[in-house]
Amino acid sequence: MHVKGVIRTLMAGTAAVVSIGIAAETASAQAPGPAGTAAGTTVTNTAQASYSVNGVQQSVASNAVSFVVDRKVNLTVTTNQPANTEVAIGQAAAVTTFRVTNNTNGTQDFVLTASQLPIQNLFAGDNFDVANVRVFVDSNTNGIYDPGVDTGTYIDELAADQSAVVFIVGDVPNVQSASLAGITLIAQVAAGGSATVQGTPLAPSVALNDDAVVDVVFADNDSDGLGLDIANNGQGRASLAYEITTRDVALTVAKTQIVISDPVSGLVAPKAIPGAVVQYCLTVSNGTLLTPANNVNLTDIVPANTTYQPGSIVIGVPGVQPICTVAGFIANDDGTPIAGTTFTGGYDSTARRVTATIPTLLGGTAVAASFRVTIN
Amino acid sequence: MITRPMIAAVLAATAAVASAAAGPLQVTSSILVESRTAAADGTTRIALVKPSKVTPGDKVIFVLSYRNTGAQPLANVVLDNPLPRQIAYRSANPGSPAPDVSVDGKTFGSLATLRVRSLDGSTRAAGPNDVTSVRWRLASPLAAGSQGQFAFQAVLK
Repeated sequence: MHVKGVIRTLMAGTAAVVSIGIAAETASAQAPGPAGTAAGTTVTNTAQASYSVNGVQQSVASNAVSFVVDRKVNLTVTTNQPANTEVAIGQAAAVTTFRVTNNTNGTQDFVLTASQLPIQNLFAGDNFDVANVRVFVDSNTNGIYDPGVDTGTYIDELAADQSAVVFIVGDVPNVQSASLAGITLIAQVAAGGSATVQGTPLAPSVALNDDAVVDVVFADNDSDGLGLDIANNGQGRASLAYEITTRDVALTVAKTQIVISDPVSGLVAPKAIPGAVVQYCLTVSNGTLLTPANNVNLTDIVPANTTYQPGSIVIGVPGVQPICTVAGFIANDDGTPIAGTTFTGGYDSTARRVTATIPTLLGGTAVAASFRVTIN
Repeated sequence: MITRPMIAAVLAATAAVASAAAGPLQVTSSILVESRTAAADGTTRIALVKPSKVTPGDKVIFVLSYRNTGAQPLANVVLDNPLPRQIAYRSANPGSPAPDVSVDGKTFGSLATLRVRSLDGSTRAAGPNDVTSVRWRLASPLAAGSQGQFAFQAVLK
């Protein structure tokens, strides 16, 4: 018999030889995953003995002893998106995404519930709840909530070391003061084994049962460290928030015009005759307190039969009519930045369009822009 | 390299049929787990109990008890325990002589002398997880009526 690279220790009774045994490392298909040997597996041990009596070799086997591997219940719940979900006031079916991993050494169902209990220290400023909260499992594993497709409300038959994506879907109320809503997914390990039937939540075996019975042992950790989840309860949780980043603001624009001068009367009681200078005043107001409006663009087309007066765009704090702006900034017609302010203005001679841009219009404030034309 | 056939195995094949059940050497295998209980004095008592609850990662203790029930001494006693494949060897149990171990079921020695060939052809030192079989040999004949036991610790994969 040839044995590659192996110096064997020979018959029992010979002096032990220091040997170099080389076993081929195989990628064993039977090796269990991180969750370990499957629950219900029977592990059996039998020893062999050899001996000699009066020079005659004999052998004997021991009894076979076995035990059944019990169910080590563990799970991991994590968020499955990089940041909170940004939503708008009144948005329907806003989605947060989570991932539930089965670390149990067996196939399990998972009962899913959502909680909006405010979590101290986790989501500062949690001041509203989403409505119509639903929990769905990603059925086609594309990681995206597909209404009408992802309809399962519990995780069905998730194998050991496998994971599933779970969505919480909720409607953001139409309340302007809303800012942030924390939401928590709670997953509870339940009995597997029946496809398309939600298993009952597992409970740990209390009594010392027979060796032949698959006991349930909870081995999950405290997933939040906040006291809401505890170790060894068969539950895991993870939290995200709906964050209001888009709001409707009550923007209003008022436009007035005034004749500044005419070639006949000059500045005194001018009339709208050819050659007269007319000033238009656009005032934009943000009527929503506390909510700034970003990138407000005021545009106006210079009327027919008039000519835009270059360099006449002025942007600033509204004045009392007939004054359009107080200490306004004179804009550059080419749209370049203006010293001392973030406002910009511009005139497009092709489109005959006047533009004034206000990067931030704070809630409850107004900004005015004026420009002048000459009547042809 | 040519090695001599295992005479023991050949002989056993003929002799064991008749004597396996009623042979003079009785070997009893048992599996135990540690049960930790808090004692009144604040210490933790570790008792070995039946493996009622064993989950992956748990320590399991295998005990082999042997006894010469015959009238004659038994020579060259070797106890060989191939590990169940769900079991990863750790060490000899405290109080038990250390077994020779094997990573291929053929070559036995101390773990430090064994190597494992990787998939890419290179070899590396064997670790406890590579052990597939453990073996003890009695240095002196087992007198009639005498007994003993070996034990090793392992974990459930």
